[in-house]
Amino acid sequence: MAARNALLGFLERFDRRWIFLAMGLAIVLPLLYPLGLPADPSPMVKAVFYAIDDLPAGSTVLVSVDVDPASRPELEPFFHAAVRHLKKKGCKLVFLTLWYQAPPLVEHWIKDDVESASFPGDRPYRSGEDYVWLGFREGKAVVIAGIGQDLAATFNGQDAAGTPFAELPVLRGFARLADFPLIVLVSAGAPGAKEYVQLVQSRYNLKIVAASTAVSLTDLTPYYQSGQLLGLAGGMVDTAEYEILVARFLGLDPKEGVGAKALDVLNIGHLVVIFAIVLGNVIYFAGRRR
Amino acid sequence: MKKQLPLLIGFLAGSFAIAEFYIPAGIVRDIQSKLLEFASVLAAAAFVLGGINVIQVNLPIILHRRPDWQYKVVLMLGAAAMLLAGIEWHSLAAAPAPTQVTERPTGTTALAISASRDDAELSVDNKPFVPLGSGWREPVAPGAHNVAVRIPQPGYSAIAMPITVRAGMELTLRVPVRMLWGPSGRVYTWMYDHVFGPCNATMFALLSFFIASAAFRAFRARNLDAALLLGAAIIIMLGRVPIGRAIAGWLPALSDWIIDIPNNAGRRAIMMGAAIGAVATSLRVILGLERSHLGRD
Repeated sequence: MAARNALLGFLERFDRRWIFLAMGLAIVLPLLYPLGLPADPSPMVKAVFYAIDDLPAGSTVLVSVDVDPASRPELEPFFHAAVRHLKKKGCKLVFLTLWYQAPPLVEHWIKDDVESASFPGDRPYRSGEDYVWLGFREGKAVVIAGIGQDLAATFNGQDAAGTPFAELPVLRGFARLADFPLIVLVSAGAPGAKEYVQLVQSRYNLKIVAASTAVSLTDLTPYYQSGQLLGLAGGMVDTAEYEILVARFLGLDPKEGVGAKALDVLNIGHLVVIFAIVLGNVIYFAGRRR
Repeated sequence: MKKQLPLLIGFLAGSFAIAEFYIPAGIVRDIQSKLLEFASVLAAAAFVLGGINVIQVNLPIILHRRPDWQYKVVLMLGAAAMLLAGIEWHSLAAAPAPTQVTERPTGTTALAISASRDDAELSVDNKPFVPLGSGWREPVAPGAHNVAVRIPQPGYSAIAMPITVRAGMELTLRVPVRMLWGPSGRVYTWMYDHVFGPCNATMFALLSFFIASAAFRAFRARNLDAALLLGAAIIIMLGRVPIGRAIAGWLPALSDWIIDIPNNAGRRAIMMGAAIGAVATSLRVILGLERSHLGRD
């Protein structure tokens, strides 16, 4: 009985900084010592993969990259994987963003993956011919409604570097959202995938796949169920699963991806949170009983 | 008049936005497109108002040395620095020197390229970029070639140009590379990469520690509702990661079921309710019944 009371006393005085330490170790250790548990892509993630894979070779795809540095770990692996997937299909790419925090990030990523060869057999894309970066336009939902009607009017008829649309071969025949066979959304929040679905998807019967942060996933699953999103990858887990599918498609090692490595962190991190919940409840009920 | 005119504008713009949805005529779409442009301009103007508001709120606190005034100084200096770095100062300077192209007969068909900076990278004929260093010279086949020169770091000018090398001639390119200002410029991207980005990511990363702490301190099964929430949370947290499948094969399926059925049912109800509320509020604004957005006077 005394031992039990001592244990309960210890639990009641338990310093939450131990939880912080446990979480810190849960993040760092799996990166140093990977578990390598196999990931099985979910149907939603497979739907993203097949929506892109079913595109005719050489299609022109619009990619809206609505992210900030905070959402980078969750969404950057998806961006890289999607761009590689699209490049392997020979697709031309039109990038834009609705987030003012995004342009420097997107420009880095374009340099890394679009303007450079990013997998064996890949080639660097040329600005204006193979891809175009339209940049940021303020207006949030208004911009989405605007590009639904007229891409040139919304972006003042020029890309981020100031090149007129008329001098961009990649945009020939693509005046509005409905002209694109597929729209890929890398969406960290609002404005993003939800606004695209609400404002333009049904109106113009657009084909859209989206990647979102984990907290937005439950907001967006109804749109996936209703078919308004053809595929949905929510959070780091789904991003990693998509990255694994693309790595297999490209003949690369699936375990080498950033998302795949992050899966181990999530595995242990989730266990730490569950342990914290259980421990907190043990202390709570023990205190009530006493 | 002060009230009636804004109400009339609101009524006309709102009614048109609704009617436009059902009228596919080209002229209607053109007008709608123009209205959306107006809205974009207004949204951009809101940034200016936001900037003025930041000054109005923070400057008096600094001047009167109110609590935490030091943080306001950092805020104002940070905003001013980003604003200054975001202006394209280079466009005010003289036009950049063009790429110098010279051709001389050497008997060997070759291409020689150099840049005004030693850290430039070169790509010829869409091959991967390689360091250019003090210069690059290679024999090439006569005919058309694509040349691209860039600096690895963002914020510098880059060129990509087609050139034609004639047989027996050596074509020499001297590429001027200059630092840019503005949102894609060196200073702005440096501050973004080394200050804003890490700070923003750090704030978000701290959430993992707060969540763990909150889970320990606040997530209690005090009653049946809380116990159900807690159980669902644990199942989803386990079912969403591979370790859940390693623990029990049925966990991912149960997790998906919770997200797909009860969660989506609740989400749909909330979304439909919110949508109906938005329609009702919009109609009240368009019809002038809701006037709070016009202010008190």
